Amino acid sequence: MKQRSKLTQEQTQNVEQDARQESRQEAGQEFGTADELLRFDAVQTTVPPHIAERLKESIANAAPPPRRSWWHRLLGQ
Amino acid sequence: MERPAAAWPSDEIAGLYEQHQRAIFYLALRFLGDPQRAEDATHDVFLKAFRKLDQFRGESSARTWLYRIAINHCQNLQQSWHQRHVMPNSDDAIWEQAAKTDSPLRVLETKELGQRIQQTLDRLSEEYRLLLLLVADEELSYEQIGVLVGQSTDAVRGKLHRARKTFAALFNQTA
Repeated sequence: MKQRSKLTQEQTQNVEQDARQESRQEAGQEFGTADELLRFDAVQTTVPPHIAERLKESIANAAPPPRRSWWHRLLGQ
Repeated sequence: MERPAAAWPSDEIAGLYEQHQRAIFYLALRFLGDPQRAEDATHDVFLKAFRKLDQFRGESSARTWLYRIAINHCQNLQQSWHQRHVMPNSDDAIWEQAAKTDSPLRVLETKELGQRIQQTLDRLSEEYRLLLLLVADEELSYEQIGVLVGQSTDAVRGKLHRARKTFAALFNQTA
């Protein structure tokens, strides 16, 4: 009875040790290439929303884009 | 009370901005290395795009067209910046070391990840930096990258191999 409980204790300790090691591995990340790392970084990057507002204002204040002459449009140029 | 957001004066540029803002901003951010300069550059790129809308004939994708404008703009900004601050180009020396190792890129703390990435990119040449930022965009093929940087697809593949190795070696030094 005593021997069986000792084995169970060892098994329990092994399981706990494995769980701690797994948690350490999960805490960090590994990327195979720079591409993967940069893609991850890009997904985490937020575009500041005020750029859009600034752009809207600039476009509203800008002269309209030049229209192509009728013969350019006719020739598809 | 918050002011409602203004409407877009142009549906076309609104659509382009919505679809491509992250790609252009990220390129500007990591190429220039400064959030404020990246914001200004993103604004300027889309404003230029608005002004050139009639010149965009759909021969390339909208994404590559915008990247073309962004790359030219950012390189011009860097050129004038470099006239004041000379940056060392250490790619070859680092490549000698990098070629001997094949370590993965380890990240333990994601909150400092952006800083480490920027430090690493800043140590690369503009060429390697640009290639890595373009290849990170999964919408671009090697052929399209080649067109954007003015090189053959084979040259792009070869340089990317070196750029990736050099980046990895430098990145693991920042830990």
